[in-house]
Amino acid sequence: MNLLEVRGVSKQFGSLVAVRNVSLSVPAGQLRAIIGPNGAGKTTFFNMISGAVQPSSGSVQFDGRDVTQVPPWRRVTLGMARTFQITEIFPELSVAENLRIAVETASGMRLRPWISRRATTAVTRHVEEMLAQTGLMSKAGRLVGELAHGDQRVAEIAMALALRPRLLLLDEPTAGMGEQETFEITQLIRRLHRERELTIVLIEHDMRVVFHLADRIAVLDQGALIGEGTPEEIAADAAVQSAYLGQVAEAGAA
Amino acid sequence: MTQLLLFNVTNGLIIGAFYVLMALGLSLIINLSGVINFAHGGFLVIGGYLAYALTPALGFWGALLVAPLLTAVIGLVVERLLIRRLYGRDPLYSLLLTFGLAFMIEDGTRFIWGAQGLPVTVPDFLNQPLSASLFFITGYRLFMVAVVAVAVAALFLLLRYTRVGIRIRAGTLDLETVSTLGVNVGRLRSLNFAAGIFLAGLSGVLAGGQLGLDPTMGAGLLMPSFIAIIVGGVGSLPGTLVGGLLIGVAAGVTAVFFPSASDAVMYVLMAVVLLLRPRGLMGEEGLMT
Amino acid sequence: MNAGGRTNRLVLAAIWVVLLAAPFWLNLVGGYTALGSRVLVLGLAAMSLNFLLGFTGVLSFGHAAWFGLGAYGAGLALKFVALSTPLAMLLGTLTGGIAGALLGALIVHRRGIYFAMVTIAFGQVFYYIAYRWNSLTGGDDGLRGFSRQPLAFGPMRVDILNNSTLFYYFVLVCFAVAVGIMALLLRSPFGRTMLAIRENERRARFLGIPIELHIWIAFALSCVFISFSGTLYALLNNFADPNNLYYSLSGDLVIMAVMGGMRVFWGPLLGAAVFVVLQDYVSSLTTNWMSFIGLLFVLVVLFFPRGLLGMLRQRRVA
Repeated sequence: MNLLEVRGVSKQFGSLVAVRNVSLSVPAGQLRAIIGPNGAGKTTFFNMISGAVQPSSGSVQFDGRDVTQVPPWRRVTLGMARTFQITEIFPELSVAENLRIAVETASGMRLRPWISRRATTAVTRHVEEMLAQTGLMSKAGRLVGELAHGDQRVAEIAMALALRPRLLLLDEPTAGMGEQETFEITQLIRRLHRERELTIVLIEHDMRVVFHLADRIAVLDQGALIGEGTPEEIAADAAVQSAYLGQVAEAGAA
Repeated sequence: MTQLLLFNVTNGLIIGAFYVLMALGLSLIINLSGVINFAHGGFLVIGGYLAYALTPALGFWGALLVAPLLTAVIGLVVERLLIRRLYGRDPLYSLLLTFGLAFMIEDGTRFIWGAQGLPVTVPDFLNQPLSASLFFITGYRLFMVAVVAVAVAALFLLLRYTRVGIRIRAGTLDLETVSTLGVNVGRLRSLNFAAGIFLAGLSGVLAGGQLGLDPTMGAGLLMPSFIAIIVGGVGSLPGTLVGGLLIGVAAGVTAVFFPSASDAVMYVLMAVVLLLRPRGLMGEEGLMT
Repeated sequence: MNAGGRTNRLVLAAIWVVLLAAPFWLNLVGGYTALGSRVLVLGLAAMSLNFLLGFTGVLSFGHAAWFGLGAYGAGLALKFVALSTPLAMLLGTLTGGIAGALLGALIVHRRGIYFAMVTIAFGQVFYYIAYRWNSLTGGDDGLRGFSRQPLAFGPMRVDILNNSTLFYYFVLVCFAVAVGIMALLLRSPFGRTMLAIRENERRARFLGIPIELHIWIAFALSCVFISFSGTLYALLNNFADPNNLYYSLSGDLVIMAVMGGMRVFWGPLLGAAVFVVLQDYVSSLTTNWMSFIGLLFVLVVLFFPRGLLGMLRQRRVA
């Protein structure tokens, strides 16, 4: 069964159609990339999956349940976690505190006015596990707002992971990163996918990252789905070539 | 009874027109700059007292024109020196700063002109009632409504048809885009602030002619203006217009039946609007929420 | 890390020593015990407001309403219900807390400027009620004809009515309890969600936190705390008047929090101390004290936006 099933969603902003009748099925364990030129509607589509934007029509199903009307915070509790194109973190709190909030919320403790010593220990252990996995252990006590951009992106992914999601949505995880940082974050995503069999949907501009990571690729252009397939199929697809890869090739040549 | 009702509805409309003038100025500033100008009532007081000081030299008509302009100039100076530094910061800070200014203006007025009320002398012919049966409508009250109507119409026309006006409206919706188009946002905000303060000054002159002047009059008119904006919908000038008239009339009508509740009715109205239509009567979702 | 912890404990100990010894040193520096009680009460009010302002990032500019409701609630309870100080405090706190929780439910979907305007405007409702309902509240003259009652612990009586030093300690105990609960809450998982909302609402929502619910709870708690401080204010003065509900008091409370340091737990207490002492002093010198208070607002905003303790802390980090 598919973990994520998007059926014919559209989104109109006034007279502008940002996304037009797009469907997407992602089986559990798959790493799916969404690519497309700027303004193709990728982020709007993403926002409809996570609930940040309500679709004008169509439906979103998660794990066999229709979540189209479900508010974003509840989608998170159902097992959907996401990161943002522009890093969203708690800048004036430490890395460990950022993760602690994620862990406590995911463990259903968010309304508790007190916490037992034992629960604290369990939360701390989980936080340290996340820090170790993402290589942030040495920066645990620093304020996230003071970290380098790359580390902030990693911290955001770590927060999403701390929610123990079944579906991880990553909006341009390598945005604004240098070579080395891009390489490291790609390795991290690959490891999460392989070792934890985590289902991941990501938007990405860097084609090397996409072709390196994705099991399958969906291509959006002007709000519509114009191609879908394995990386090999996409690389060979003429329509995709002209809509997107051609542009990239031109840009690269120029 | 009909007479009484008519009296109070008219009264309400006149008061409402007044709230509108005050609230439109506040609303302009909130929309473009994100500043809740707590000193707006203070600027109203300045306008009124300036008119009082200028009347001996310029006469009522001269004061009516010059006092609001001078108030706007003072507003411009305050914006350039103080408020400008706070754009883009937490709205808390501009709120506190203008709050302090309001204290200083009220106290300063008291220091200069004394705590007792002062009259603004109005030309005699304006003080005549229209007729014996409509004794409650003096010429001055009609005149007030006419001035408010002209000012409001002029404001809306300016916003609609002049380049600056169009930029102000565009800036209200999306300031970032406007600034990338090469518009000097700083100057736009100064101008917009001055326009808002001009309206406050004008309210002050008109109010002085009707009620006389006292240093606390601005504070008393501030809250109805807030409510007019909330009822109409934060971010919408037409909403502010409707909101101001509505609470004025509501207060007027209530005064007929429950005189002691006439102050409270606008709060009830606000609660009802927030319950049924949280963004205000004419507010748009996503704007300023 | 460890050194920081020790410094914090030392600072904390120093604060309590200063507060405990206040009746002894206040007179030496030209103060008086009631002034100390006033600082504590308004400090608690500012800290309650800051629970929302500094730690949840929600701008309420109408908190005087809940403060005043607490004061009137306690005064009316003493006058009409029973001659019991604890009961008056309970009823006063409930009055403000419940009213605040109800209003909070109406406005939690609003943010920023809108939220500030709605809280200011609604706060005034209670001012008008207190001002107009002469027969119950005494209108403009304020509510008189009640006084705090001595406490009775079994056969032991503590006369907080006539002994102002005893009353100071009574206020200090109440202050300690309320502040202790606040501190515990801020260290709890719920408290951390408040910080999360302050830091980044969107991130918090996408961690699975229903923002509106959490803001509402924080708002209601803040109203309960500030009403509690309001009841103490009525007991302190044996009097409540409409100015306890007026929006300029809301402004005073916000400036206390900002002046002391919104991001620092004890900041608002320091802010309240400075404000109260300054107001006391300036108003004894000149009738134009309003101008000075106004100037204080302007100067704080322009030159000390992080507050006294906020600046101190920043310097320590740097």
